[in-house]
Amino acid sequence: MKRAFGVLAALLLLGGVAFALLKEPRGDDKEPETVTVNGLIGSEKREFFEDGDVKAELARQGLAVKVVSAGSWQMGDNLDNMDFAFPASQPPADAIRANKKITETAIRPFYSPLVIMAHAQTARVLADNGLASQDQASGVWTFTMDEYLNAVRTGRKWDQLKGDKPGDLAGDVYLTTTDPTTSSSGAMYVALLSFLENGHQPVADAAGVEKTKGLLHTAITKQGALKKSTDEPFADFLSNGGGALVLAYESQAAELVVKQKAPEDLVVLYPDTTVYSDHTVVGLTGNGRKLAGQLNGNEKLRQLAAKYGFRPQGDTNAFGQQLKSASGSFKLAPNLGAAKVKQAPIPVPDILQKLIDGATKG
Amino acid sequence: MMRKSGARGLAVGLAVLVATVTACTSSPKADPPPKQSDAPAPTAQAGVLRVLAGSELQDMAPVLEEAQKATGVTVQFAWTGSLDGADAVSSGKTDGKYDAIWFPSNQYLHLDDGSRSKLLSETPVMTSPVAFGVRSSVLADLAWGDGAKVTWGNLAEAAASGKLRYGMADPSRSNSGFSALVAVASAFSGASAALTGADVQKATPSLKQFFTGQKLTSGSSGWLTQAYSRAEQGSVGALVNYESVLLSLNKTLPADQQLTVVRPTDGVVTANYPLTLLSSSSEREREAFGRLAAYLLKDDVQKRISELTLRRPIGAGVAPAAGLPTDRRHELPFPGTRAVADGLLSSYQNELRRPSRTVYVLDTSGSMAGPRLASLKSAMGRLTGADDTRGVRRFRDREEVTLISFASKVKSTKTHAVPSGAAAQQELASINADVQALSSDGGTAVYSSLQEAYRVIQRQQAAAGDDRFTSIVLMSDGESNEGATDKDFRSFHGGLPAAQKSVPVFPILFGDAAKGQLQGIADLTGGKLFDGTGSLDGAFEEIRGYQ
Repeated sequence: MKRAFGVLAALLLLGGVAFALLKEPRGDDKEPETVTVNGLIGSEKREFFEDGDVKAELARQGLAVKVVSAGSWQMGDNLDNMDFAFPASQPPADAIRANKKITETAIRPFYSPLVIMAHAQTARVLADNGLASQDQASGVWTFTMDEYLNAVRTGRKWDQLKGDKPGDLAGDVYLTTTDPTTSSSGAMYVALLSFLENGHQPVADAAGVEKTKGLLHTAITKQGALKKSTDEPFADFLSNGGGALVLAYESQAAELVVKQKAPEDLVVLYPDTTVYSDHTVVGLTGNGRKLAGQLNGNEKLRQLAAKYGFRPQGDTNAFGQQLKSASGSFKLAPNLGAAKVKQAPIPVPDILQKLIDGATKG
Repeated sequence: MMRKSGARGLAVGLAVLVATVTACTSSPKADPPPKQSDAPAPTAQAGVLRVLAGSELQDMAPVLEEAQKATGVTVQFAWTGSLDGADAVSSGKTDGKYDAIWFPSNQYLHLDDGSRSKLLSETPVMTSPVAFGVRSSVLADLAWGDGAKVTWGNLAEAAASGKLRYGMADPSRSNSGFSALVAVASAFSGASAALTGADVQKATPSLKQFFTGQKLTSGSSGWLTQAYSRAEQGSVGALVNYESVLLSLNKTLPADQQLTVVRPTDGVVTANYPLTLLSSSSEREREAFGRLAAYLLKDDVQKRISELTLRRPIGAGVAPAAGLPTDRRHELPFPGTRAVADGLLSSYQNELRRPSRTVYVLDTSGSMAGPRLASLKSAMGRLTGADDTRGVRRFRDREEVTLISFASKVKSTKTHAVPSGAAAQQELASINADVQALSSDGGTAVYSSLQEAYRVIQRQQAAAGDDRFTSIVLMSDGESNEGATDKDFRSFHGGLPAAQKSVPVFPILFGDAAKGQLQGIADLTGGKLFDGTGSLDGAFEEIRGYQ
């Protein structure tokens, strides 16, 4: 913290004059009542905030929003001059709220379940080996988490699996995730594995942490160095590199479908037990709270969020509607219940922190 | 300790090249956009992003010029090596001086817990795997067809049999060298997940075999390429570098030197060039960063980047430029802890690579008296210190170090062989004692002393009959004014047998040295001139990457 203050002080000294110059012309070319709102967002929401329609709707509401993307768990250390923070899940938002003594109810405008991206050939190998299956009627793929846990526990290798394997399937079978200490999706992965390893019960105490941390540590450390935010492993994957099985938000795949940019051989697998990531916005100032209210309650913004693959809390149909109007080579599951995708609860922040420590430090 | 080294490496990088992209490609401007200058103060309208970057990114200049027009964001670069850059960030040297960093990979930096609070936002911009570029004649000789089925094991076998001689950048400095080291260690240990210390141990015998084929080392990929082009026909048949660099290089290489890109089928390590915002940046620069990052990810810009640089586009929707193969490779995990990464680097330097024969030709003429001699002693003394976890500096186990002190003539020649393991310490102390005993008087006979250095190497090679990375460092603070002339030296060099003629001289500019003379020596011998006027410590350390 001390260091952060030092840096800030230096920047204020250096930047003070330029700042004064900057503020004025900025105000002039906009409607007078427009206020600028600065915030930190999870990288998976960057394109949403860069969308022209989103900007226009926010401008109609008197808001010019400027965002910097950062890992959800990095946000708490970088809140100086920020009006809001918008991490990808509730625990980092709760941590910020606790730290800033914010008592209002958390606003969760939209959510997205965690899914797994794979190439079609990889999905077929998984299916041949009891690690995944495809529903014949809907075409939706599910990933068999308990069998995956077995594979992690026993260090199962791709070359031990039967079937016709492409060259990129080598080494241990594991999901590529982000760093759980910086990124929500990595932390959600730890939460999900802990639930499964604890006999499909949420870990609620130190005994549960002890019981599950061995597996968590294996699943995280086998990956070696971890990327810090969710768009990185996903971008690597889409560039035909990166991991063979990449943990991502459903929204990232859905956005590709809506934009008709989904690669032909992309398959989205829903873990048969997954975690819903509640994108939670924390207003730190009056303007930040105004934005939070708009994200939650503005019908137009909810529609636009669905266009970027998110599931708005206040509008259960928006997500399915967007998918209907778009075509994609793979199937998503607008109705998660019908697809028999179960939801694992997330442990309380204190326990989650201990699980993350166990996963990364052993 | 590492932090200090990073700062010095950085200082050298800065001294060598600080440039703005727009200044590099100045053209007449009808209405000049907001001021483009290399002064750090930006104007109110146009953001200037100060970026500490890997020199590989120089090829992005045209894209960044277009970005400047489209976004108003001017990128101001300072260059340094990937791992030195990581040190600079971890130690806080970039705080307030740079707004962003841009290296082929942040993986090494991420291993440092201190970096977590330093990096705010990372946007991968493009990708390129580290690969082997193999000359067609070598490929044919090894019956590797089009190279599509080659494994790391095949490469090691070919290296051990003497059929594959390659150049690779120093993994303690360069991400391409480090990535190759990680890949080859993973392949040979049979590790099916991230490397551990035990895996590295297990792979050691195969790694030693593999590295018998490494004939060129370099602190930078630019010089490596030059050295490859310069090497006598057939003496170096392959280069380790990014796929994009190898393919781009083919555009300039003559037909008989063309390289076929081999991505080993058992796995590669891929760079994803994350444009990275530093936490110490201010609000205005954060906004500029956001605009630039968004611009670089646009489909048409991604297409342009891929076609211009032959890197692969990031994300969906844009096909890679023509000529980039689309079959997938297993991505080998990068080590997950600093201990494993640094352990691997230390093994490489002290155990795995071919040992070095290093000759220092040190000017101790009268003009060196006082602070200059003290600087020299300090800079050389640092190379004998043990506080160097990833092997960027200290004389390595198995290295043969010769110190030639000269003025009007050679005053003394002292050779030390650094043993392996714990015994190394004593020999390092002995080298330091010789360094600290240097004293200054007399004139400056640069060329005669260099000739003596080549004769020393000839004798050492004859006596040992070994095969080492061999190089000469020449440090002088004045003009050669006694003994052999430039012309004499040229004729001497022309008559050297191949084993000595191929030995490069790395001159260090210092004090009132004659830059023309030193540059001439570097050019003639295939070396490279280093500037020690800013930091002699930095120059001596940077040269370690070439030895």
